[in-house]
Amino acid sequence: MPWARGEEFIDLKGRFEGLEVEEKPTITSLYIQKERLLELLKILKEEKGYKLFIDHSVVDFPDKKPRFLAFYILYNVDERKRVVVKTWTDGELPSIEKLWFAGKWAERECYDMFGIRYEGHENLVRAFMWETYQHYPLRKDFPLEGYTTEYLPSLNEVLWGDNLQGLMNYDKMHTPVPTLEDLEITEKRRLQKKAQIVLNWGPLHPGTHGTMWFLFDLEGERVYQCDVILGQLHRGVEKLAENEMYNQFLVYTDRMDYLSALCSNQAWVVAVERLLGIEDLVPEKAKYIRTMMSELQRINSHLLWLGTYALDLGALTIFLYAFKEREKLMDIIEGITGTRLTISYTRVGGVRMDLPEGALEVIRAFIKRFPKELKEWETILSRNRIWLRRNVGVGVISKEDVYFYGLTGPVARGSGVPYDMRKLEPYDAYPWVEFDIPVGESGDVYDRYLVRLEEMRQSLRIVEQCVAVLEKLKDAPFFAESPDPKKLKLPLDGIGLKVPEGEIYSSGENPRGELGFYIYSTGGVKPYRVKIRPGSMYNLCVYPKLMKDRVIADAVTILASIDPVVGEIDR
Amino acid sequence: MVKRVFERPLSWIERMLFLDFIRGLSITIKHAFRKTITTHYPYEKLTPPKRFRGFFGHKVVDGKEPQPAFDEWVERFKIKVEPGKSRCVVCMLCKRACPVPQLFEIEGEKLPDGRRRVSVFNMNMMLCTFCGFCVDACPVDCLFQSDIHETASYTRRDAVLDLEVLERIGRDWQRRREEEPDRIWIDDHQRQRLWHENHLKLPEVKG
Amino acid sequence: MESVVVWLVVVLIKILVILGIVLGVGAYLTLVERKVAAHIQRRPGPMVVGWHGLLQPLADGLKLLTKEDLFPRYGNRFLYNLALVMALVPATLVFAVVPFGPEFEVFGYKIKPMLTDVNIGLLLVFALGSMAVFAIALAGWASNSKYALIGSMRKAGIVVSYEVVITFAVMGPIILAGTLSTYDIVQRQIEQNLWYMWLQPIAFVVYMFAMLAETGRVPFDIQEAEAELVTGFTVEYGGMKFGLFPLVEWYIEVLSLSAIAVVLFMGGWSPINIPFLGFLDLLFFLGPLSPFVWFILKVSLLFLFVLWLHWTLPRYRIDQITTTAWKVMLPLTFINLVLTAIIAPLIWR
Repeated sequence: MPWARGEEFIDLKGRFEGLEVEEKPTITSLYIQKERLLELLKILKEEKGYKLFIDHSVVDFPDKKPRFLAFYILYNVDERKRVVVKTWTDGELPSIEKLWFAGKWAERECYDMFGIRYEGHENLVRAFMWETYQHYPLRKDFPLEGYTTEYLPSLNEVLWGDNLQGLMNYDKMHTPVPTLEDLEITEKRRLQKKAQIVLNWGPLHPGTHGTMWFLFDLEGERVYQCDVILGQLHRGVEKLAENEMYNQFLVYTDRMDYLSALCSNQAWVVAVERLLGIEDLVPEKAKYIRTMMSELQRINSHLLWLGTYALDLGALTIFLYAFKEREKLMDIIEGITGTRLTISYTRVGGVRMDLPEGALEVIRAFIKRFPKELKEWETILSRNRIWLRRNVGVGVISKEDVYFYGLTGPVARGSGVPYDMRKLEPYDAYPWVEFDIPVGESGDVYDRYLVRLEEMRQSLRIVEQCVAVLEKLKDAPFFAESPDPKKLKLPLDGIGLKVPEGEIYSSGENPRGELGFYIYSTGGVKPYRVKIRPGSMYNLCVYPKLMKDRVIADAVTILASIDPVVGEIDR
Repeated sequence: MVKRVFERPLSWIERMLFLDFIRGLSITIKHAFRKTITTHYPYEKLTPPKRFRGFFGHKVVDGKEPQPAFDEWVERFKIKVEPGKSRCVVCMLCKRACPVPQLFEIEGEKLPDGRRRVSVFNMNMMLCTFCGFCVDACPVDCLFQSDIHETASYTRRDAVLDLEVLERIGRDWQRRREEEPDRIWIDDHQRQRLWHENHLKLPEVKG
Repeated sequence: MESVVVWLVVVLIKILVILGIVLGVGAYLTLVERKVAAHIQRRPGPMVVGWHGLLQPLADGLKLLTKEDLFPRYGNRFLYNLALVMALVPATLVFAVVPFGPEFEVFGYKIKPMLTDVNIGLLLVFALGSMAVFAIALAGWASNSKYALIGSMRKAGIVVSYEVVITFAVMGPIILAGTLSTYDIVQRQIEQNLWYMWLQPIAFVVYMFAMLAETGRVPFDIQEAEAELVTGFTVEYGGMKFGLFPLVEWYIEVLSLSAIAVVLFMGGWSPINIPFLGFLDLLFFLGPLSPFVWFILKVSLLFLFVLWLHWTLPRYRIDQITTTAWKVMLPLTFINLVLTAIIAPLIWR
């Protein structure tokens, strides 16, 4: 049971007047007035053991007064339960940055997207948009296509004077784009120069693995302070989610964490299924296929991490070796699903297609060989003195930091916190397969490296077990059949899938941390609000702290060990 | 349940004799004398798997339509069926299933004999996410995704597939690959470049 | 009079031959490197231009030459171009004192296959080697870029540290040989039936590491460090100017330092050595050419070894590199030097 029981909070009712406890099968929430919010959160953190910060955002109800419903999702790692604290506000909230640093970033995002002001926030700047942007995009009164005020005819210029019409042309009017001055203001607001030079690391830089913009204030080569400017890849996925049908949003989950599309697909589909309450309807075979595929994807994603990590540290050959194996995985995934990167294979109720013939043979051939390759890479790297010196003792994250910064995934596990959604809140076939959670000891970069390598081994174990089961399930159905098609339509293409009123927070274990979906549904074919909890973003928020007093060369090491994907951070 | 991983420091002997380097070097040199695994791209090409989600096509009427769905839809919309022409019944389900519906431009026309047929079917591939929802939605197995993946072009006009192009891709597909088994991939020479070290043998393709 | 003319002609020919060989080989070593790297990584490498990509360096050169010559705004154009000269000239000048083989006679003239046999040859080598730091510092400064500046400062730090180390490392062989002339050092090794590698293993290993550091090869390629500094101090150079820096650093300098390593530790043009007993010339059938082939063989083997290391190891961090230099390698070379200085006079002569 992932949610806290209502009885637990009875003693709090005496201390907090107006505290309401609401218990539903998909969520347990505590309502409190915003004046006493901080107090309640503090007690939950310190007395009740809800130490790990998961997520915070607001839901916008333009017709209601007060307008915004803010929610804070917390997790109790020892007792394995979650609780949501909610409060109503009209645009002002107390800042929780003293309780959880991760909250600071979440608050920035809320300020950026909804215009909520936070009292006591140290530096309330926009998270994704530039500082001079006027609007708050996730508010319900912000149109989906944005305010098209900029005239940009150059997009339609063509080389040979083709007369393009209709579909082929872009709109001449566009939403505003930041000018150089805007960017300069944004940069200045982020970082007050205190040391010698400010190095702009990014937005386009091979070391940042995407389009992140780091600002390093350097004293010689030592980083004095550091900050990140996000948003270069911001596409408003959460806004899109409010305007797409449940199944169609799958396409956007592909494009968030594009390196582990299958895992994101699975997390979304499981969240919707849980909200619908049809988890048990999904056939066993579909569950096994999903689990197997997302474990393959996990290996795939970790391989890319290993390759680029080694590349960042100068071991170029490992990159190619890892990509050799990754290519095989890509072949497998391509053969089964049809694409290599943006996969959209799972569906609410099952998977899109059955496994093709030969798939299991190919996977078996792969897992037979793969441990050998893994061993070879470990021989080159793991005990190499250079590798050890670059990694051991660098970027140490303590257990307290894990909770304070809301870290999840291999980053948390590297610090010795066995936080793994696959065990804590098993979905699909995970309760039926056997695997271990690797945890590190000292929480440095090297431990995270070892954890990820071990995770690949464990994933292989899972895949092996799935293959064994799937071989027996040759002709079983791979898509759920609705018990009552009139009440609940479960089509493969997602047309007409209606979700009842309700809300849920459900998460999956992505290769980069917990990918959570908070879905608020008011009924119908589209969600009212979807808040995505990107593992990468909260993992990244510890980066400025880790970078303090380190040299530039460690910047790549630490960043690669956190392994963020910008598509997921910016959404 | 929980497995601890930890650092194993180097011993003095390993340090003095550079054993860590030697181990790594011996692996890279071993790889240097093995077969290369790359496909020499524009000169050699992999055959995409049958399920590949590439450019779209319209399958044409050739007597192999899914029955009885096809006849039912034809009756429902009073579609004129012409062999060798698109199977499309103008049901618009593809457009409804699409996350980016603007990419479709579909129109039907009424013929003098009272029957209807598809007249405009434009798909703008620049907006497409290649997710395949439209293919799932198609009730008559008309719209499908082919193995065409080299889609670069000099003008945006080429990225818009009209009915003629779609039918051409469809005919080509039905001739080339329709009959292929639903195999993960066809085990050809190029594929073996990468996979030979896994000693993988897929059964021969029949026919 | 006549002898001066002959001398001039001989020197000119030597210069042309050496320059041609060095630059030509330098360019082709790019292909060698790419092929070695490719095969280690299970790729075929360049295959399109010419048979197995044999014409690739020419195509690359052509491409680099036809590129636009970019210059960073607010940079210093004089220093920017001077850096190129400062990089190229000292690196090639080192070959003036590299002996390619034993003395031979043509038309009654005795010719040493090296440009000039100065009696302070090694001093010249390391003096020129430390010139490289100017080129890099200038390149970084004149580019007016933070990345270039950081890269060049890193490299300058390394070169300064490792110049000291490398100089102390070669002291051992110098004491054993009792001369600074490169030609004579080889001669001594042949006379004494001994490659100095066998007596100076520590110096040899340290020399190899220092060589990697000076030339910016993995595991010391932090001035390039494409992951963090893009390409370090060359980031603002374009076209052939950009091509020149790696050419000099990665190929010509590696080549020259390998040649010096062969001269100092591996008996120059001598065949395989069995310590104190003699030499085993497996290439006797080549006759008078065999010493030259031996020399080239050893240099290329060393070069290939460097490549092999490059494509296997990760890279150190700047502070770790300098720490190793000052705290590990320098004391080691000191000990080596002291031991050699004490023991050599006692039992050597």
